[in-house]
Amino acid sequence: MADIVLDRVSKIYPNGVPAVREVSLDIKDGEFMIFLGPSGCGKSTTLRMIAGLESISAGQLSIGGERMNDVDPADRNIAIVFQNYALYPHMSVAGNLGFGLQLRHVPKAEIDRRIKDIATMLGITELLSRKPAQLSGGQRQRVALGRALVRDPKAFLLDEPLSNLDAKLRASMRTELIKLHQKLGTTIVHVTHDQVEAMTMGQRICIMKDGEIVQVGAPMEVYRNPANTFVAGFLASPPMNLVSGRLEHDQAGLAAVAGTARFVLPPALRDGYAAQSGNAVTLGLRPEDFHLSRGNVKLSQAVPVATVATEVLGPEVILVCELGGNGGPEVMVRCPRDFSASPGQPLTLHYDLSQIHLFDKTTGKVLSRPSLI
Amino acid sequence: MIESAHALTLTDRRDRRFGWLMASPSLALLFLVILFPVFWAFYTSLHDYTLISPNFDTFTGSANFIKAAEDGQFRHSLWLTTFFVVAVVLLEFLLGFLVALALNKVERFKAIYYAILLCPLLMNPVIVGLIWRMFLHPNLGIVNYLLSVVGIAPVNWLGSTKIAIWTVIMVDIWHQVSFMIVLLLAGLSALPREPYEAARVDGASPLQCFWRITVPLMRPVIIVTLLIRLIFAVKTYDLIYIMTRGGPGISTDFISYFIYRTAFVSLNIGEASAMSIILLGIILALTVYLYRYMRSLT
Amino acid sequence: MITRRVLLGSALAIGFAFPAYAETLNVLMEGVPDTEFVKQVLPEFEAATGHKVNLEVVNYAEMHTKLVPQLVAPKGSYSVIVVDFYWVGEFTKAGWLQPLDDRIKADNVDTSVYIPALMDLVGKVDGVTYMLPFYNYAMGLTYRTDLLADPKNQEAFKAKYGMDLQPPKTWDEYLKQMEFFTRDGMHGVVNQGLRPDPIAMEWSNYLFANGAEYHDANWNPTFNNEKGVKAVQQYADAIDKYGPVGSASFSFDEAFNVMAQGKAYSYITYNFFRTAYDDPSKSSVVGKVEIMPVPGPTADTGGSLNGAWGWAIPKSSPNPDAAWEFIKWVESPEIAKKRALLGGSPTRTDVFEDPELNQKYPYAQALKSMLLTSHNFPVFTYTPQLVEVLGRELSLAVAGEKSAQDALTQIEKEFVDLAKKDGKLK
Repeated sequence: MADIVLDRVSKIYPNGVPAVREVSLDIKDGEFMIFLGPSGCGKSTTLRMIAGLESISAGQLSIGGERMNDVDPADRNIAIVFQNYALYPHMSVAGNLGFGLQLRHVPKAEIDRRIKDIATMLGITELLSRKPAQLSGGQRQRVALGRALVRDPKAFLLDEPLSNLDAKLRASMRTELIKLHQKLGTTIVHVTHDQVEAMTMGQRICIMKDGEIVQVGAPMEVYRNPANTFVAGFLASPPMNLVSGRLEHDQAGLAAVAGTARFVLPPALRDGYAAQSGNAVTLGLRPEDFHLSRGNVKLSQAVPVATVATEVLGPEVILVCELGGNGGPEVMVRCPRDFSASPGQPLTLHYDLSQIHLFDKTTGKVLSRPSLI
Repeated sequence: MIESAHALTLTDRRDRRFGWLMASPSLALLFLVILFPVFWAFYTSLHDYTLISPNFDTFTGSANFIKAAEDGQFRHSLWLTTFFVVAVVLLEFLLGFLVALALNKVERFKAIYYAILLCPLLMNPVIVGLIWRMFLHPNLGIVNYLLSVVGIAPVNWLGSTKIAIWTVIMVDIWHQVSFMIVLLLAGLSALPREPYEAARVDGASPLQCFWRITVPLMRPVIIVTLLIRLIFAVKTYDLIYIMTRGGPGISTDFISYFIYRTAFVSLNIGEASAMSIILLGIILALTVYLYRYMRSLT
Repeated sequence: MITRRVLLGSALAIGFAFPAYAETLNVLMEGVPDTEFVKQVLPEFEAATGHKVNLEVVNYAEMHTKLVPQLVAPKGSYSVIVVDFYWVGEFTKAGWLQPLDDRIKADNVDTSVYIPALMDLVGKVDGVTYMLPFYNYAMGLTYRTDLLADPKNQEAFKAKYGMDLQPPKTWDEYLKQMEFFTRDGMHGVVNQGLRPDPIAMEWSNYLFANGAEYHDANWNPTFNNEKGVKAVQQYADAIDKYGPVGSASFSFDEAFNVMAQGKAYSYITYNFFRTAYDDPSKSSVVGKVEIMPVPGPTADTGGSLNGAWGWAIPKSSPNPDAAWEFIKWVESPEIAKKRALLGGSPTRTDVFEDPELNQKYPYAQALKSMLLTSHNFPVFTYTPQLVEVLGRELSLAVAGEKSAQDALTQIEKEFVDLAKKDGKLK
């Protein structure tokens, strides 16, 4: 059993700067957990505390039910893959792979066998006699991964392992890591600042900010129900449009108003939000919830917009436009690949009201609402 | 297509010519300052050239070399210098590495440590020799006084044939160990941090980290440091001149001082040149060997 | 007397008052007291002649290395140089110095006033005058007068050796005193045993004091004999038995300090140290040390080693005429006396006889008799190399790594080689 439990774990540096504050998290055995957040949010520190490379200032860490706070990294039986691979520059690939086993006094024949197995699995058999300096970035990445795998640890800790790779390689390594996880079923904690990695790879995402956990959940859960404006603005690309506005009662009922644009809330939501009427709120409108036509959207609201620019991505077109017409707040909208509009051109879009998110204007926290389904 | 290829080689050639042009002043300087004296010394070593009659009238071929090789004093000096160099380089390296490792862990006041360490290094060897001669004065010096305070009999630092060479070695260590420390420290602080973390997770103890990671990674720096120090140690002259003049007896008669005397006391520039060429040959061979060895590592 | 000086002064004034043109003289000198005294009187020369003199003062160690390139060059930078007797053979053989005889004759300079031994050492070589003696550094025996005068010591000495305790008349008497005073933390002697020149120079006194010389008139070696062996053994005993720990590695300044701190009875050294004993900033035995000639085998002989520096004009001198003017001036009776009064070591008999000097320095006569009874070190092309050989072999003998006899045999062998190489020994 290698579930990793963090109980109010904190890291305060000697100079008094807190890097991680009271993080509590339960990573289940065999889970693929993502730590997501901007740089400096404490995600790497948390990972390094799990690895034992950073001391824990307060709280408790246990792995497989055992308290690990003061256990030497060597004795935690976990493997870590570093962002810049941290290969031993003076050792061959085989040496890099076998080093940890040698230190653990694994018999020579056994070491050779395991190195061979792992090399075959990762497709680096021909590289075994090379030195790290003679390898490409992707190859080094594989060796670093191999070095973690060969030890057969209780858990893998990956510290932004893909961030030094080019986009294409990164995409393929993503898939490989997912496959690897499916094959081995070992616990993986993967730190990244890339929301695509987070969405695609993890079973759960733990989003961190300023040393604290903001939200933990399955990727779609977090996507659907961001806990605050930070998560809303961080996940997905382009992220959720956050627009200042207020809740108003009018003849049509309760509506969220941003500039001249009005979003009449579906009746099912009104009761939930009624108490906030008259308050300033932040509207969260995902780019993919705007449509060019009403189509089969049940609860749609026509919104006039003024085109600012279009970004042609190929599979789709991102429309940048001013909500409610000229001078309104700027939002991004996902459009099909054949869409085109010239700057200044007025359009009418249809917004799926069932997907509207409202956040407290001051705290940024989501205003809880009843489920629509 | 052919034309463009032709044009390319033209530019190439022009580039190359320009490169030579740019390098020529330094090459000329190099030739003038280094190669010319070496050739001159070699040419001189083949002649009976003395300061009394400084001319190349008498070609003697290898006579100077044979004379040097047959000179027991010269061979003694060569052997003594070898002993000194090995002792000094080894001890300074061990001590220097130890201190560098300790200092590498230090976070605060690094600049102050550096400043203190660099003090002896910045001193002229003549001054170092004079200071230590004063300190080591058997009757009036502070070292023997301090020893007497703790009840140790006065040591005949420079007056005993058994002790004098170790005294010189000790003073040289005092003077030069910071060179090792500074170079090794620079090497250590330039080492990547990540492999150590990887090794910790891999299960390496601090001692294993040192032997399996620090030492191999430092090897190029270590070799260069040793090489430079070795070459400088062979040239040790000032310290001997000031402290012992090769004595007592012939117990500290190092090769540089020996060659100096052959040239400027015996006035025999020809023979001194032959000795210098022999020395140059030895140092060159050693340098090439160490350089090759270093290349083979990377 | 007065008229003579006035006459001379005006002659100098006329001679120097209207120089053809002012020149700059570069002079390389060693940093020793006598150089300091030259420096002090130098403004007079500059005022009288309009010449400018640059004194470049360096360590002894640097001098030879600085000189040789300038001397080899067709036009060097030094107008005047000072030559240690060490280098005389080498410099003259290489033809680096200008003969001065014509100038001496033309200007009627009297060289007969110089102590003959000094003229032989740093004046004439094979009948040609190349230098005028600048100052001497003959070695003398410096000893503690207060210890000799102490009645308790006198009594004890008489009881032990059956003779009076007094400034030693013979070498044997001195050796007894050396032994006698080695007791109660006191040392009978301190030696300068450092290779090569300190030990070679000091031991030469021991050799002469035993009645031997380095060579005869035909340059046949005359030191590898019973007297030589005794000199080596006595020297080794002085260091090992009667001297402080470490004197085998002392240079003269370190040995001087031991003596000046009152830790030794005697020290055979260069006479210019005599004044330093009376300098309270350097010495704690002010007024208690006197100098005398190193005693010889009999009461009427001496064992002192002679040593001196001479003024010379190098062949490569850029302005030899002005250089001669300078030498003539600095060695004029008036200036020589002034330098001696400042504390310099005279080379001229007339200066030694000067009443003013004798009044100021009562030991001037001792210095003079020291010079008159002193012995010269072999002066030939390979003097420095002989010093090296002596330094090496004596140092080995003192260290006990070679017997006195073996060391002397080796020195003799190399001496013969060198003397033959130089054409001195047929």
